[in-house]
Amino acid sequence: MLSGSRASAEPTLNPPGWTVLPRNLGPLIIGLALATLLHFGIQPRAGAFPTKVMLDAGINIMLAVSLTLVNGFTGQFSIGHAGFMALGGYAAAAVTYYGSYRLWGSPDFHGGLLSWTVSQGTFHGPLLAGGDALFLLACLVGGLVAAGAGYVVGLPSLRLRGDYLAIVTLGFGEIVRVLIQASRYQLFSAEEVRATPFAKLATMLGGSLGFISLPFYTTLFWVYTLTALTLIVTYRIKQSSYGRAFLSIREDETAAEALGVHTTRYKVRAFVLAAFFAGVAGALYAHSIGSINAGELGFQKSFDLVIMVVLGGMGSISGSTLAAILLTILPEALRKVTDYANLYLPPEYALPDLRMIIYSLALILMMILRPQGLLGLHEVWDLWRRRARRGRPAPAGKGPA
Amino acid sequence: MMPLLEVEHLSIAFGGLKAVQDFNLTLAPGDLQGLIGPNGAGKTTVFNLLTGVYRPNHGTVRLEGRTLTGLRPYQVAAAGIARTFQASRLFADLSVLDNVRIGCQLRSARGLTATVFRTSSQVGAERQIRARCEQLLEIFGLADRRDELARNLPYGDQRRVEMARALATEPKVLLLDEPAAGMHPQEKLMLRELIRSVRRQFGVTILLIEHDMGVVMDICERITVLDYGVTIAAGTPQEVQNDPRVIAAYLGTPQEEEDSGKNVSGTSASSPVS
Amino acid sequence: MTKLVQTLMDGLAAGGLYALVALGYTMVYGILKFINFAHSDVFVLGAWLSFTVAVHLLGLGLSSAGAGAAPWWALPAVLVSAMAACGLAGFLIERFAYRPLRNAPRLNVLITAIGVSLLLQNTGQLRVFFGPYPKRMPTLVPDVALGQIAGVRIPLVDVLVIATALLLMLALEWLIFRTKLGRAMRAVSYNTSIAALMGVNVNRVISFTFVLGSALAAAAGLLYGLKYPAGLKQPADTSWVMMGLKAFVAAVVGGIGNVRGAMLGGLLIGLLEFFGVAYFDPLYRDVYVFSLLILVLLFRPTGILGRPATEKV
Repeated sequence: MLSGSRASAEPTLNPPGWTVLPRNLGPLIIGLALATLLHFGIQPRAGAFPTKVMLDAGINIMLAVSLTLVNGFTGQFSIGHAGFMALGGYAAAAVTYYGSYRLWGSPDFHGGLLSWTVSQGTFHGPLLAGGDALFLLACLVGGLVAAGAGYVVGLPSLRLRGDYLAIVTLGFGEIVRVLIQASRYQLFSAEEVRATPFAKLATMLGGSLGFISLPFYTTLFWVYTLTALTLIVTYRIKQSSYGRAFLSIREDETAAEALGVHTTRYKVRAFVLAAFFAGVAGALYAHSIGSINAGELGFQKSFDLVIMVVLGGMGSISGSTLAAILLTILPEALRKVTDYANLYLPPEYALPDLRMIIYSLALILMMILRPQGLLGLHEVWDLWRRRARRGRPAPAGKGPA
Repeated sequence: MMPLLEVEHLSIAFGGLKAVQDFNLTLAPGDLQGLIGPNGAGKTTVFNLLTGVYRPNHGTVRLEGRTLTGLRPYQVAAAGIARTFQASRLFADLSVLDNVRIGCQLRSARGLTATVFRTSSQVGAERQIRARCEQLLEIFGLADRRDELARNLPYGDQRRVEMARALATEPKVLLLDEPAAGMHPQEKLMLRELIRSVRRQFGVTILLIEHDMGVVMDICERITVLDYGVTIAAGTPQEVQNDPRVIAAYLGTPQEEEDSGKNVSGTSASSPVS
Repeated sequence: MTKLVQTLMDGLAAGGLYALVALGYTMVYGILKFINFAHSDVFVLGAWLSFTVAVHLLGLGLSSAGAGAAPWWALPAVLVSAMAACGLAGFLIERFAYRPLRNAPRLNVLITAIGVSLLLQNTGQLRVFFGPYPKRMPTLVPDVALGQIAGVRIPLVDVLVIATALLLMLALEWLIFRTKLGRAMRAVSYNTSIAALMGVNVNRVISFTFVLGSALAAAAGLLYGLKYPAGLKQPADTSWVMMGLKAFVAAVVGGIGNVRGAMLGGLLIGLLEFFGVAYFDPLYRDVYVFSLLILVLLFRPTGILGRPATEKV
């Protein structure tokens, strides 16, 4: 029975340290195992194209799940997420590209087995090489730079709601794009790179031509390891008091504040966390295609991500994951179908890319028919649990007040 | 005994409208007091001033000697004042248990690193929160509905979840804004018992806003009456019931009644009906 | 001095266009309290419809430099048909995409608006409609100058653009503040349910607001095509979205929900953009506008002429 005394030391329910470890590290190990399986088992057998689709799917999962952290968990409508991706990607690219020049005199691949792709031919070398370390550092830097931007964007969020915030995030995405496209030309020789101070190198990002000639460090292994990390972190947040504080802000900010939730701090934190993961995803993206161009990471990309989160269910990690996978595969499948059909259709009736039209119709219909998306706030496993419970008869009456 | 809550000369004006003028109140530990007045008298505004939603133009609020005026609502909650709202502000899409747990996390939640790394301290804290909240729900008779979405609960249960949620923050003072609103007579009788037992079991001091005179006169030890932001009476239920100014505020004077055919908004002391 | 006059003229013309589009945003926000993301696409629709009517219905091809080959009634005809068609489009959008969500959380409507916007952009690009290539707007206004100020040539087009924009704004001002219908619109913007209780047909007022805003956007589209005939890019091109965004910024800066604010905001944004480009760095033309937006939202979120809204706790 609860007593009124507050200062009393209640017996602690802390489990002993070692028992927490298996449950703690378990998911991470599973993620690593999956990543290893994909990289060494599936990649050699699948072709280059399916591998690319899997890479893209993993990156999109990271982006969608991070977006759901802001939009879904705290209910802040952010539609400039691609801006964080761009910032992270460019920051990481600068680190690997110019870092490679400084360390090894060229921006070529200096990685180990984990960064090697089958298409690059046979591999001789260590599991983990200097290039991998540089790449991981670059991913971290990308994440941190994006997180910093997330803080800056999060601040106006404190004074704005709903539509206004959406516009500010949209404006942010555009400002990022414009500023990056105004950056200086890229350097292509070791002497020049060595002669330029770090601060100036950071502004030499290629401008509107984009940042090119990046080493291809992104592999299925790295993508799925980092995706697993993202999922684990986000899930743990959602299940905890920390995450519930986020959710309370989404539901009713006034009530949340009355219960002691430091709403402003949590709202900014949501942006920072989401931006961090988006930045890392941007880093992976840049090193998977070998280049990055801010022009391609504008509101079109932001909307793609918003569509994923809305369709999957804002606030559902599994929903965003499923939607990300679906919406990575779907455009490719759609393209194959239209290409095939266009072989048989006369040129005047050639089918254009219907992807965006189908997306937008789906979005409109979804909002009318099922606004919570596929899963709403719930996770896939919640649905099974609910169905099991419905089997039990309803409890009779309630206890005395 | 040192007063728990001291409110002095609290005032706020919105533009030209003086919503609350020179409001004073003292709560001793364990008190159960009421705040009444016709609609629009400024009662909820007083609550908003006490909890930091509004910043007063004048006056101070002190809890156990510590000045709370000007603090944000979450800081006031941390200091020990909890409240419920006039219109239900439950977290509709969350379960009953989650609603209450959010109240609990004020005192027990761990930070981001501990959460992400699932340290044993964090796991322990979460277990503790869950245990405490389930006990709370047990006391309020809501244990079997813990996994239901708050939006699916019947109205009376929703109000109790709100109360449980506020109590989860371990407050020293509990502000209840029209807890009996929308309840039928049976529920109201149970509510009176509930409020009394909450005070007993949790050792909280309670201030409540109510329109139902039956509830107010029955359980409150002292009542303050507001009309157009001004305190027109304060005292025991007996004193307040018989105060001509209070009667005039609710019923109007005989002349006014004839003139405007005014609707009766309050009741006389004898009938326990809202 | 020449530069000043030229910039002023360009800025005012652009400002007039922004104002016309901003009016649509602000009227819808005032009444339904949500940002109609699809509004800028009606502007695009207006521009392209004007092109289609001019070229295909009136048979006006590209005119060679010199005397205008278009008859005097071509411009008003195109204007009226574009405004009517877009008005209809606005009506349909409200009826089928937004009305079902009248009571839904605002975020849902926002998402729907994004969906409608994307749909309009991408359907517009289909070959059966406007096609995925930029086109050049035929010359409906003869390329003559009305004179010179400080060495700057004042083309008829610019004067027409500014004059039409002003006229439409004055007409709207009259409508909203001097007619019964305008009073109904204002009533609905203050409180929908009470307006309904007072006998206002809320659905009809809302539909009319959309029609009106869309018609103004259509006019802006045509005027844009007249002033920048080479700027008629394909419907999903980013340049359109940027313009729509800037018009929206104009509405916010002026005070969203406030009609006079939208007009003021539009002129302000137009002047800011062109003066920034002329006197600072043309590379950052979009940044000036967005920076103003962020400043306004941080320090005076209700805009210059807006009134603050409070949430009842």
